[in-house]
Amino acid sequence: MNRFLRLPPQILRLVLLALGIVGSYAVARHFLTPPSFGEYGFYRGAALGEVAARPAVLAGREACAECHADQVTQVAAFSHKGLSCEGCHGAGQVHADNPDVAMEKLHYSHCVRCHEANPARPKWHKQVVAKDHYPGDKCTECHVPHAPSEVP
Amino acid sequence: MNEATNVVLELLPHFEGYVYPNEATPQPLWSVLIVLYPYITGLVAGAFIMASLVRVFNVRALEPVYRLSLLTAFAFLLCAPLPLLFHLGQPQRSFQVMITPHLTSPMAIFGFVYAWYLMAVLLLELWFDYRRDFVEWSRRAGGWKGLLYRVLTVGVDDVSEASVDLDRRMGHLLSVVGIPSAFLLHGYVGFIFGSVKANPWWGNVLMPIIFILSAIVSGIALCVFNYQVLMWVRRRTTDIRCLDVMGMFLFYALVVDAGVEALDWIHRVYSAEEGFQMMHQMANEKLFYTLNLGQALLGTLVPALLLGALQLLRRHIPELARRRIYFASAVLILVGVLAMRWNVVIGGQLFSKSLRGVMSYKMEFAGMEGWFMGAFLFMLPFIVLTVLIRLFLPENPPGGKTDLPEAAPPARLASQPGAP
Amino acid sequence: MKRPVTRRKLLGGVAAALAGAILAPAARAAKAAVRKVFVSSDAPKGYRPEDHQWAMAIDAGRCIGCGLCVEACKKENSVPEGPYFRTWIERYVITRPQPGSGESRGPAHVDSPNGGMRGFPEPPVPKEEIQHAFFVPKLCNLCRHSPCVQVCPVGATFDAPDGAVLIDPKYCIGCGFCIQACPYGCRFMSPVTHTAEKCTLCYHRITRGLRPACVEVCPTEARVFGDLKHAGPSDPIRQFYERNKVQTLKPHLGTEPRVFYAGIDKEVR
Repeated sequence: MNRFLRLPPQILRLVLLALGIVGSYAVARHFLTPPSFGEYGFYRGAALGEVAARPAVLAGREACAECHADQVTQVAAFSHKGLSCEGCHGAGQVHADNPDVAMEKLHYSHCVRCHEANPARPKWHKQVVAKDHYPGDKCTECHVPHAPSEVP
Repeated sequence: MNEATNVVLELLPHFEGYVYPNEATPQPLWSVLIVLYPYITGLVAGAFIMASLVRVFNVRALEPVYRLSLLTAFAFLLCAPLPLLFHLGQPQRSFQVMITPHLTSPMAIFGFVYAWYLMAVLLLELWFDYRRDFVEWSRRAGGWKGLLYRVLTVGVDDVSEASVDLDRRMGHLLSVVGIPSAFLLHGYVGFIFGSVKANPWWGNVLMPIIFILSAIVSGIALCVFNYQVLMWVRRRTTDIRCLDVMGMFLFYALVVDAGVEALDWIHRVYSAEEGFQMMHQMANEKLFYTLNLGQALLGTLVPALLLGALQLLRRHIPELARRRIYFASAVLILVGVLAMRWNVVIGGQLFSKSLRGVMSYKMEFAGMEGWFMGAFLFMLPFIVLTVLIRLFLPENPPGGKTDLPEAAPPARLASQPGAP
Repeated sequence: MKRPVTRRKLLGGVAAALAGAILAPAARAAKAAVRKVFVSSDAPKGYRPEDHQWAMAIDAGRCIGCGLCVEACKKENSVPEGPYFRTWIERYVITRPQPGSGESRGPAHVDSPNGGMRGFPEPPVPKEEIQHAFFVPKLCNLCRHSPCVQVCPVGATFDAPDGAVLIDPKYCIGCGFCIQACPYGCRFMSPVTHTAEKCTLCYHRITRGLRPACVEVCPTEARVFGDLKHAGPSDPIRQFYERNKVQTLKPHLGTEPRVFYAGIDKEVR
């Protein structure tokens, strides 16, 4: 203690100042570090839950099947079985929560979106040049989207 | 080989070839503010190295610019984090860099390196150097200035021989510590770019070295510039011996810097790795003016020739011409290093990481990342420096006029610049 | 939190029963509102990140470039309009060499109009000149050694224990370093939140047992998704690894992506 006090005055002030700065940093760090920081790694553990908390927009086929089991089973029997309902019908979580909210209206472009011929599309995939294939704009006059190999 | 098209192009015509959709933003993510940031930090580091030439390497001829260099470094250091802060998307969260620094990130070290350099090196060295003067001035000056000087003594008024000798030894020690710190401060800025392996323009081991060397060059040039401007404002003549020595150091630093940068380019051209074609296109088209004209010709070649000629022919050239050549070289180098920062920062964002396309960038006038803000942030350290010079490098030190003899600051150095 | 909700639900049910069919829509709306409040204010219960290891694989040979995934991603994650994508589709059109040029192939034309969200127009070269043409869906590569996580100065982006690379939107300072460090261009600075954003593997969906939006809507199973810690022999993700010889993007950077690609070409970067 005695020796410490015998430090030259300018050095003593600086040592005290440095201790003050380091001390206030330690205190600030203690209070400002988020509580869940380091729970899993060098990040806020609570962030996982926060990112996950977002509500879903697409409901998923299981949700569709709760009310529309017939259509879901019908599609499953044909080559469109891999398609998601919401790929064509639009996002459905709002409708699933409250069936009074109608789904998006379907449109002709839903068919050509996948089936318009494009050289970059794989050969196994059925493609047509829509304007040569049929002059009208209603694919459903000849095709049943839920059962593509059937004819209406 | 890889011509490419991108329909985004039709909407945003400043892209050629294919760029990743997320890269098709109208402005580069890091723009003029991030150009200024390494420029200003580099000037800090360089000016400090300049000052330590006096303290550590005992280059007596440079004593007239010792305090000016330190104050320059200090003024620029105070402004260095501002462009960084302003470019953040969430500046109010910037304190987190200090609270939870992610130690694998070059950027996380910023807070600590900056705090260390500001508080443990520069402020302390200035304080030890000025302590005796503060005590002296606080006794002589009145009003708010006297109060300011008194506060700056931190209540220590011991100016005995032994005490001042301790100050001098501490100053020397801090200079010695300060040199690696200055390297650290700027080397890490280079590492921020050099560590980005995703970007062939940046990811390069030489990047920190190039940044440090160009920082030294630009810092010395800034001191030459500031010294001459200050003397001109004060209607006094510059110390030609001091200028000659600064010019000599500037020349050798420039040669080393140019040598390492040339090595970097030779390596890039010779190894011609993936993405080399892109770099070729950048150097010849996108960055033609700033790289070839700004950085290489005006910023390096011309000043190197001018200063080199002075090294050989110094005795045959009149003093006035020498002063003008030093001034011109300093300005050219300052512009050239700014162009170098631009080429690194903007250049690294003018091509797609898909290596299939390039972007163009036209700086806006207004706005956070525009000309106006850039000019303001670049002027700011000069304004701060003016204030600092008024306070701490006065033409007539407090009370000096009436009751002090001519050699006003009685410190061991002839700290008053320009005394012929 | 949970109790008042069920009570409210119950009350809503009682009210609906009393008022009969006229009030049914109101009750449904109330239920939706309650659900929304419940879901948006809390993470899924009982999800332990340590128990999962999510993985995505891409079979480029199955992609038809319809853009449903890009559209679904934008909707699902409220991705801002404009050049901001968490996933996108690139089209590669590699031309035949000029006759007598001695080359093995001609130039490659790459495009991704609006991220492929609305599909692709006719290719820029006539059909006869095309040697190969294909689509490549892109998304976060879920690197094992993520350069983006490495450079984040505050620990706002991280590798979650279940394999997702996420951003903490409340902690990101918006410096953009991660965007510069990502070799795949998968991150962007959101003009809305002024923080970095990226693919979360639809973390809010996978933690509730749903599939990511892009996987959900993909009509051709070009995107395969699964949990490596719970993948049985018939699991699509396991079958993908067994059926295909795979590669990753930019392997020379040592990022070790966990998104594997099958059926791509050397031109894909």
